[in-house]
Amino acid sequence: MTWRTWAVARACAQVVARAYAPMFALACAPVVALAADDHSEADIIDIANDYGIDPAPLLVTGDVEYGAYLSGECTTCHQTSGNYDGIPVITQWDEVYFKVAMHEYRLKTRENPVMQLVAGRLGDEEIASLAAYFAQIED
Amino acid sequence: MTLDRRTFLGTAAAASAALTAPMVRAQATPRVVVVGGGAGGATAARYIAKDSKGAIDVTLIEPTRTYYTCFFSNLYIGGFKEMNQLGHSYGAMAAGGVNVVHDWAVGVDRDAKTVALAGGGSVPYDKLILSPGIDFVDGAVAGWDVSAQNSMPHAYKAGSQTELLKAQLQAMPEGGTFAMVAPPNPYRCPPGPYERVSMVAHFLKQNNPTAKILVADPKPKFSKMALFQEGWGTHYDGMIDWVGEDFGGGNVEVDPAAMTVSIDGEVTKVDVCNVIPAMKAGRIADLAGVTDGNWAPVNAADMSTKADSDIHVLGDASQQGDMPKSGFSANSQAKVCANAVRGALTGSKVFPAKFSNTCWSLISTNDGVKVGATYEATPEKIAKVDGFISSTGETAEVREATYIESEGWYSGITADMLG
Repeated sequence: MTWRTWAVARACAQVVARAYAPMFALACAPVVALAADDHSEADIIDIANDYGIDPAPLLVTGDVEYGAYLSGECTTCHQTSGNYDGIPVITQWDEVYFKVAMHEYRLKTRENPVMQLVAGRLGDEEIASLAAYFAQIED
Repeated sequence: MTLDRRTFLGTAAAASAALTAPMVRAQATPRVVVVGGGAGGATAARYIAKDSKGAIDVTLIEPTRTYYTCFFSNLYIGGFKEMNQLGHSYGAMAAGGVNVVHDWAVGVDRDAKTVALAGGGSVPYDKLILSPGIDFVDGAVAGWDVSAQNSMPHAYKAGSQTELLKAQLQAMPEGGTFAMVAPPNPYRCPPGPYERVSMVAHFLKQNNPTAKILVADPKPKFSKMALFQEGWGTHYDGMIDWVGEDFGGGNVEVDPAAMTVSIDGEVTKVDVCNVIPAMKAGRIADLAGVTDGNWAPVNAADMSTKADSDIHVLGDASQQGDMPKSGFSANSQAKVCANAVRGALTGSKVFPAKFSNTCWSLISTNDGVKVGATYEATPEKIAKVDGFISSTGETAEVREATYIESEGWYSGITADMLG
């Protein structure tokens, strides 16, 4: 996976997600989901810089079991089956981009009052655990 | 086959193991009984079965075979949903390991720790989770009782009552009057009556545009009031008369035979009358002796009742603090309860309680609004942490996105509840 491939995925995610959130799930999630999860630390710092956020939260490692418990707050709306009916799909996301999205909601630089509220009270470890859990859900 | 000593001993041991195994197992596997298969009970049953992976026997007692969601039932009245889109089976839950018993729970013996069934027999429990939803307070609206619910439907438990109200709405004469008697706080789904007024208005605007809507309300204000009133002005100008507490909206008497509604002494002949009386916890909570007044007080950390630590109450029936009585709240409380019950019975890790709620309402086509909040457990109650509400004057694009989001939530929560 080259940085250029990532840049394309990122640009797509950024443009579309900000324009219209539900479209994001349809248009971009598959692109991101196909990407490998093994980012080097340098990759992650690059990604953080691209989004203009602190890289530290993106470098935190999550716990799948803790994420499974925390996911209860997500699955009232986001389907674990990966089906889309109006709420974006969050299964099998690349973990780093999952963390980016949640941190942007937490910073309120990404729009959606429900997500800003939910992310607003999650710590770095909780976000990382959710990212780890949703990344490994199978079809 | 010749029977040698080794074979004989082996066979005898196996037979003896087979005979004793079920008894040992019955004593060793803890039992959870859940009463009520709605947003609270179904979620709790499914999560405990799913996460305990067979270490807990889970029985769900629910009289109906098809669950009709109360949420989105107003959209059926407005013509946005068909009734069959609101109906869900318990088949997936049974396949997921929950023992689904279609019967009424008619009593709880807290000493013997058993739940009595209307069909006879009883079910033993180690932990009992009651999620019975609501019943109506007797005599709450003068002139109305449940025997009048065919002439003046409440339509506040989804299913045949919802269909009846819709049929009456469709049969209204041209220029007729639809009346609603709104409930006092606290009640199921705070924005529900006002979303219903919006959906009735939407139907009438298309099919009977000279008809009127009259709402008698015992409250001085209501959930999302500014948003609804803005929407009523935009979409249904002049159609809706809301009479709040200040103008005698709480001083109401109905006559189901004459089809009249008296508001503060002024009698109006109406064509449809939707009476939504004051509410209380579903009857089984009363029968279990865990209510205090109309509701069952619970501890925020695990939704156990103040009266009995082995009985938990979820959702509308519980008195928990700051959360509104909603399907979303019940689903959120169920997960906290499931985690705590599993921990108590099997020693699995119990994480701190966190709750959240969002309520979407539809005012007109693609005009959705929402209100939401996060909550935490304190020693006294479930306490609100932070919240938001849609703004008046939002763009059509934002309102449409909110409606699309609500559709996604509906699919999400029903899958989360029922599998």
